[in-house]
Amino acid sequence: MAVSESQFEDNRETESEDDIEARVGWRYTAARIKADTTARWGLYVVTVVLFVAIYAAIDSNLSLLTFGVLSDYTFARLLPIFDHPTYIPSPGEGTQHMPPYFPLAEQPWNPLPAGGTLEHPLGTDHTGRDYFTRIVYGTQVSVFVGIVSTFIGLTGGTVVGAVAGYYGGRVDDVLMRIVETVYAIPPLILIIVFTVFVGGANIWYAVLGVGIAFVPVFARIIRSRVLSVREMDYIEAARAAGVRDREIILRHVVPNSFAPVLVYATLQIGVTILIVAGLSFLGYGAQPPTPDWGQMLNIAHGYMHSNVWLSIWPGIAIMITIMGFNLFGDGLQDALDPRIDD
Amino acid sequence: MKLLKYTVYRLAQAVPVLIGISVITFLLANLGPGDPVSLMLQGQEHSEELVRAIERRYGLDRPLHERYLTYMAGLLQGDLGQSIYYERPVTDLILDRLGPTLLLVVSAYVFALATAIPLGVVAADRRNEPTDHVSRIAALVGVSTPSFWIGIVLILVFAVKLGWLPSSGLYYPWRPPSAYRGIDGHLELYYQSARHLLLPMIALGTLQMATIMRVERTQMIESLQGEYVKLARAYGVPERTVLRKHAFQVAQLPIITIVGLNLSTAIGGAVLVETVFNINGMGQLFVGAIQRNDYQLVMGVTMMLGVLFVVGVIITDISYAYVDPRVTYGERE
Repeated sequence: MAVSESQFEDNRETESEDDIEARVGWRYTAARIKADTTARWGLYVVTVVLFVAIYAAIDSNLSLLTFGVLSDYTFARLLPIFDHPTYIPSPGEGTQHMPPYFPLAEQPWNPLPAGGTLEHPLGTDHTGRDYFTRIVYGTQVSVFVGIVSTFIGLTGGTVVGAVAGYYGGRVDDVLMRIVETVYAIPPLILIIVFTVFVGGANIWYAVLGVGIAFVPVFARIIRSRVLSVREMDYIEAARAAGVRDREIILRHVVPNSFAPVLVYATLQIGVTILIVAGLSFLGYGAQPPTPDWGQMLNIAHGYMHSNVWLSIWPGIAIMITIMGFNLFGDGLQDALDPRIDD
Repeated sequence: MKLLKYTVYRLAQAVPVLIGISVITFLLANLGPGDPVSLMLQGQEHSEELVRAIERRYGLDRPLHERYLTYMAGLLQGDLGQSIYYERPVTDLILDRLGPTLLLVVSAYVFALATAIPLGVVAADRRNEPTDHVSRIAALVGVSTPSFWIGIVLILVFAVKLGWLPSSGLYYPWRPPSAYRGIDGHLELYYQSARHLLLPMIALGTLQMATIMRVERTQMIESLQGEYVKLARAYGVPERTVLRKHAFQVAQLPIITIVGLNLSTAIGGAVLVETVFNINGMGQLFVGAIQRNDYQLVMGVTMMLGVLFVVGVIITDISYAYVDPRVTYGERE
């Protein structure tokens, strides 16, 4: 290991508070992540997944925000190094282009081929679209949804938690009762009710719904941190100097309460992707023809007997992505926690 | 006596949360742009009179707070309103469907606890050995895999490919055997319900198993470093006894909390697993109600699932207080 053993050498009996203090900070954290096999692998997986998502986003005329539709795309199309005649855009073809519908018997392509060819390594779906391409593009939706809704939950939770913790008293009581209530409704249920009644099945409302459903989780963590930070001398000093409450919360309280939440957010991205996959599986997340793993599983469910693999690939993609975020989160947790040392 | 006081205190604490749940579900169902009437008439041509008539029939023409109070008054009497699609009381519908869901969730937890605790203890005992690494990887895969997909894979392998187990439905062991065709005797009914329950149970229980195993491992590692373990070892207590008795007991406390808190994930997972395995439980009822815009039923089921979670947490809290003598009753942190 590049990091010397002595740096981590630890004797719990003689460890003082100062030693613990010395183990925070970015350089130390980076070194810990490098040294920690789990975190390193998590980082690799997350990097690959993010790369795939970004690649899919900047590729061609499919923008991130429209969650483009894929039709005539083939695997070879994704790799410019192959000389391939497969993709010839027809006149007037836009992002919403769909292949013509053929009843199964008349389909010009082999219905649900097993794959294994360079053109369709994972075969095609029920409408003849390349499955591998759809899996690749599905990354975009999952990662985007995971990160954005976690960010919404994190922001909302930070505001609620910081205000509740900083002011205490009645404000705290009221906010925390609301948080507890939202927390008491199982997230998937709350998100579905929210999506359907407030917005109609649409990925944007799903993202917002997931974000709101996870506000309580973050609010609780932030609040408990704020409760101890607020007693610090520098807060007292700022207050004595006449700094306004809002300023104190934003400048001092939140930044100093943030580290544990950041770790939690990384783990939460995995949970969010898991929930959204379920949401899409039930038909309340991304809508067809947008490629989304949960929704692909929903469709594949109907073809379980004709092509088993259609049900396998999206699940593996979900699993790898979530595993990456979980590994990274676990490693980050160990790296950021000054007490853990083994 | 103290425990009884604590129980009452916890129940009282749950009241505002329950009221809160009713407010949230009511507001979501009634305030959104997708109000009940337009959802009911979705895609159909309709006249103003029809809208008025529907509003009058379901009391939607009255002001919001009045409607909420009516709803609340009904709730207190156990009346969750009338399902628009089924034209039956929501309470009856829920009571019909509660059994399968509870059976599924409880069996998933039994499966999770029965596998996770031994695995966690072994992993902690052989820390950083191959056994530990394998079980940690298994736990990681477990927390990263959607329950419904595990269900799909289980169906593909054990029902479609091997044909060993059924892929859908559930036999309810509490019904008389005569309710099912071709089943005579309780024994066969139990056998059939176990066969049908096995795959959904594993699908739903895997996530719980992985979560519990991770906590169990961490707790056991911590517990094995405790002073009492050192003392026991110093007294020459055999290592097996130290592990099974001294270290084990203390490590189980946080598991109780985890079980309670994860209940909301399990309930959400049950909705998905019920869909995959075609089980007629609360989840299917909920999904159907959402699809049919049966807002009365949606409110009722959401309320009920929230209550289920709150009750679950209270039960775990009380059992925690019962098991751990250090818990202080009724004091705020």
